[in-house]
Amino acid sequence: MASFERFDDMCDLRLKPKILRNLLSEYVPNEKQPLVDFQSLAKVVSTIATHKLLSESPSSSADQKKLQAKPSKSAVDDWVERLLALVSSDMPDKCWVGVVLIGVTCRECSSDRFFSSYSVWFNCLLSHIKNPESSRIVLVASCTSVSDLLTRLSRFTNTKKEAVSHASKVVLPVIKLLEEESSEALWESIVHLLSTIVILFPAAFHNSYDKVEAVIASKIFSAKTSSNMLKKFAHFLALLPKANKGDAGSWSLMMQKLLIAINVHLNNFFQGLEDETVGKKAIQRLAPPGKDSPLPLGGQDGALDDASWNSEQLIVSRVSALMFCSSTMLTSSYKSKLNVPVASLLSLVERVLAVNGSLPRSMSPFMTGIQQELVCAELPTLHSSALELLRATIKCIRSQLLPYAASVVRVVSSYFKKCSLPELRIKLYSITKTLLKSMGVGMAMQLANEAVSNASVDLEGFDAVSSKTPSLTNAAVLKGGSKKRKHASNSGAEAENSAVEVGVPHNHSLKIAALEALETLLTIGGALGSNGWRERVDKLLMTTVTNACEGRWANAETYHHLPNKSSTDLVEFKLAALRAFLASLVSPSLVRPAFLAEGLELFQRGKCQAEMKVAEFCAHALMSLEVVIHPRALPLDGLPSLSSQFPGSNSLASQKHNALGLNKMDRIAGDSSVLSNLWLSNVDVPANSEIQRSIDTTLPLPEAKRLKVGNDLVGSENVQQADVLIKVPESTKESLGHVSERDDDMVPKEVVIETHEGEGLEGQDSLMEEAAVGKKHESLGESDDDSIPSLKADDYLSSDSDIES
Amino acid sequence: MEETTVIASSSFDCGIGSWDLKTGNEQLRFKQCASPSHGLTAVGEKFLAASQLRNASGSSGSVFFWFWNKPQVEVRSFPVESITALTANSEGTYIVGGGASGDIFIWEVATGKLLKKWHAHYVSVTCLVFSGDDSLLVSGSQDGSVRVWSLIRLFDDQQRQHQERTLYEHKFDEHTMAVNDIVIDYGGCNALIVSASKDQTCKVWSLSQGKLLRSIIFPSKINALALDPGGSVFYAGGGDGNIYIGALNSKSDYATQFLGSVSDPSKAITCLAYCADGNLLISGSEGGVICVWNPRSRQPVRSFTFGHGKGPVNNIQVVRKTIVGNANKAQSSWKRNVSSLPPPLEKYERKGDDTVDGIVIVDPPLSSDVPVYSSYRSADFINEQVKELEQQGSAATEIEMERLKLEYKKSILMNDQWQKNYENLLQVVMEEELNGGSN
Repeated sequence: MASFERFDDMCDLRLKPKILRNLLSEYVPNEKQPLVDFQSLAKVVSTIATHKLLSESPSSSADQKKLQAKPSKSAVDDWVERLLALVSSDMPDKCWVGVVLIGVTCRECSSDRFFSSYSVWFNCLLSHIKNPESSRIVLVASCTSVSDLLTRLSRFTNTKKEAVSHASKVVLPVIKLLEEESSEALWESIVHLLSTIVILFPAAFHNSYDKVEAVIASKIFSAKTSSNMLKKFAHFLALLPKANKGDAGSWSLMMQKLLIAINVHLNNFFQGLEDETVGKKAIQRLAPPGKDSPLPLGGQDGALDDASWNSEQLIVSRVSALMFCSSTMLTSSYKSKLNVPVASLLSLVERVLAVNGSLPRSMSPFMTGIQQELVCAELPTLHSSALELLRATIKCIRSQLLPYAASVVRVVSSYFKKCSLPELRIKLYSITKTLLKSMGVGMAMQLANEAVSNASVDLEGFDAVSSKTPSLTNAAVLKGGSKKRKHASNSGAEAENSAVEVGVPHNHSLKIAALEALETLLTIGGALGSNGWRERVDKLLMTTVTNACEGRWANAETYHHLPNKSSTDLVEFKLAALRAFLASLVSPSLVRPAFLAEGLELFQRGKCQAEMKVAEFCAHALMSLEVVIHPRALPLDGLPSLSSQFPGSNSLASQKHNALGLNKMDRIAGDSSVLSNLWLSNVDVPANSEIQRSIDTTLPLPEAKRLKVGNDLVGSENVQQADVLIKVPESTKESLGHVSERDDDMVPKEVVIETHEGEGLEGQDSLMEEAAVGKKHESLGESDDDSIPSLKADDYLSSDSDIES
Repeated sequence: MEETTVIASSSFDCGIGSWDLKTGNEQLRFKQCASPSHGLTAVGEKFLAASQLRNASGSSGSVFFWFWNKPQVEVRSFPVESITALTANSEGTYIVGGGASGDIFIWEVATGKLLKKWHAHYVSVTCLVFSGDDSLLVSGSQDGSVRVWSLIRLFDDQQRQHQERTLYEHKFDEHTMAVNDIVIDYGGCNALIVSASKDQTCKVWSLSQGKLLRSIIFPSKINALALDPGGSVFYAGGGDGNIYIGALNSKSDYATQFLGSVSDPSKAITCLAYCADGNLLISGSEGGVICVWNPRSRQPVRSFTFGHGKGPVNNIQVVRKTIVGNANKAQSSWKRNVSSLPPPLEKYERKGDDTVDGIVIVDPPLSSDVPVYSSYRSADFINEQVKELEQQGSAATEIEMERLKLEYKKSILMNDQWQKNYENLLQVVMEEELNGGSN
């Protein structure tokens, strides 16, 4: 009968149980039927997720419900039944299928079903974890499924207590597994499970906190742990203080233990490379002699002094893991106040960065060449972790870094000078960025020169190379994808191959980092460099962006189709260059942006690029630049502008404008270079719009008409003033000529000239003003006469004279 | 959810009044406060701080703290001299006070430590303002000087010893009389600073260039300033009871317009505040009236009376507070607050090793009550495992297969060898046997 049933469409609710049953019979094994194909399992999971086969949503109308509810329920019932049967199967592969599908069911099933049966499922899974006979794949799957079950459970607010008790049941067995088993896959899923518990149900660790800490620490200190797992253990260890009531004390204790462990390791590692007192001091600061020092990380029997002391690589990977752990502690959110030991953290970073592998003269006899070689091989990793720790510290305490900011700046700038490895420089740039973002203008004042000089070194290196081989880039692009790193075997075209190496820069990330740092600097403190670094940065970014974009844009599409990582890298680089360039155009400055025309053209071309990210950004850039090319000061809505407040006095605006001119002209009359600067500076820009504003408000006419009429108005007004104009000194007139010429392209000519003649008038007034106070009074009275009668407050005039008297 | 509160204090002992700006309802009245102008500040969202006039004549000053939910003074501290201007950074981690002697003090809120004290002005500090990113401090003084300080550089003792530079970044000395108020706009590194003075002018300064841009003359002395953040205008409260409007890029030497005046023109405007949420201007006057204006329509929207009209209002601040979801949580956060009273501000800087004990106390983010989520992993896990199994099916098994084949071949060879050996041996034995038999 079923086969004759027809469905409305693919969303028909009646479809769901059918598909589910089909899946169940075809792909999911049962007791007798063996597991056919693992591949099909992925298919089952994705089908369930797309069609929401397990959701059992109550259908909208009641009659539909009657019709559908029963069969649908039973299909899911069958599904669950089958899974439970599989879970208790003896065959490990079937059991595995059952366990992983229970995990999926926990996520997908309806809340009613989950709520009624989660404890059954939980016990099933737990019995596998506790059973020493379980095969490894089943254990791994069980841990994952329990984690998903607890995740779902955490969304029910009414069962908090029960959930915690469930979660706490799983902790100890899992820890026992962690101690006994040595499979990385199992460790990984155990750590995931533990992290889930510590995030969702921190109370579950109540009784086992110390035990967990000890086991995890011993794993970190074990020589057998791979670097990937080290990171995961360290991450979990960083979350662990949340479990101990989540208070500030446990966080500080953990941090103290970590720092002590790190310093102890470093004391050993740096033997012969630094003064021994440095290490002693560091430990003393962390555990002052008078006070009780905490137990070493991982409890009393922490495996700190084992045979592996001699392996430099091991020490460094441990220290890196511990530093990563501290960084995570600093950056993950806690619910209580944290006492961050900033001084210890910073001195640790300083200590690590100070060691560069060179031997102090007094120490040289104590160290062999091989030893030094081994240490030097591992130092970059160590420095990288230390820089990461520094960044985490800055991120954590943000503005409260203030008392330490200066010393951090010193560390960063001195390390910038020493450091040449790209990977470390990238980290330095990102620290620079973090500093600028968290501390603002004050930090920009301190860090600007360092950032600029370093970024220009890193960016100019690229320029030199690429400008040499512009013609080869096309060839390089075509070959880049298939030939990378094969140049040695290709003897046929050696010259071209060297070009391939150069022309397709395989690693842009250093330049991207430098560009991002410059962009941040311009965003935060662009105006500060007006007299110093700004011009250099603008020029640098202009050349960089030209090199990044020109010649290659045509190839971007071809390039993109090659399944090559460096192509996306190139796009990223282009974007970073464009971003930084836009920042240099928009960032406040005293002078007009020097490369505005080039920039507009560049973005205009970029807008038409096939690469969507670049095109999108270029469109955005053009919008931002629109404000630069058409500066505007829009009339404030509601706030009456000058003329509407005092009707009939639309001359007021120009009068006010003139008064500004008075100040300016006064100072700079005759000096045309200063004058042009004046014009370029933003001071005068609002002046134009001020006129615009007065026109706008007095005459709400359509755009096209407005300007013309406005001109007429202003013009007619200035006719009156022109009578006085005769007295304008010769020099001022000349300079006025300059001004109006320069301004031709900005505002309709007539308006500008008129206005400036007005300025001339006021300039003359100002001369009088300087000449005699009495006359000044007169001139002011004169200029105010036009506007003042309409002023509502009479005390304006009277008080003006008060000032003068 | 956020709530906008107006707080106001007076130089008479009228306490601190607080009102909800939206509804106009009076909220808690905090007791025992008589503060100088610019002596009241909200410290982040944590608490209120106000310096007190009472001991002004005595040897030490006093600064009191109130929590938002309790009218009584919670913490009293007594700095070495009377504090004439008080402010806090936006996060509420530092409190800065300006003294009557011209010294400026920076305290860390979490520990109460006096981190830094320096001689900033020759006479009393009248107002203190943080820049938008809290990295710069602008101070105004009784003698008309305005200075800009970079806090990072102030803390940099080492550099200061090397370079013979002045402590301040900029100094502006063009005012001829006391500076009454300072505001700074949102321009970041290119911000404009406006200062109001008793000399009847407001001056606009450029932060990036460090110089005077323009000076605007007003008909009366200006007591208070407020900035319209989006409008490039500022409001100036005059000693004649009028509120004037000035343009930041003014073309004129003279104030342009006039917003309105309080009911009793003889009472000077003493303080102004702007609330961007709803664009409202709030003014306080000598007559004790707090008036909320709509600056667009230039109409007063509502007014509050403070201290029964007796005392002059001399501080107004608009504070935005995050409201904690429900009453229960509010209770718990209240408890948390009380359990961690901020320590009183210390009198003296610590010297020697004690100065840097290297602990910074970081407050949890305010949104720490949001539920945590963890992600599901089963589905991805299955895919991973299936992939792994498949790979084993291909690469690992193949290798294993080859190895077995090889071994099989070897075994066969070995087997042949043994068989041969056996046959040889058998032959030898047989021959021996035959020979022996014959013998």
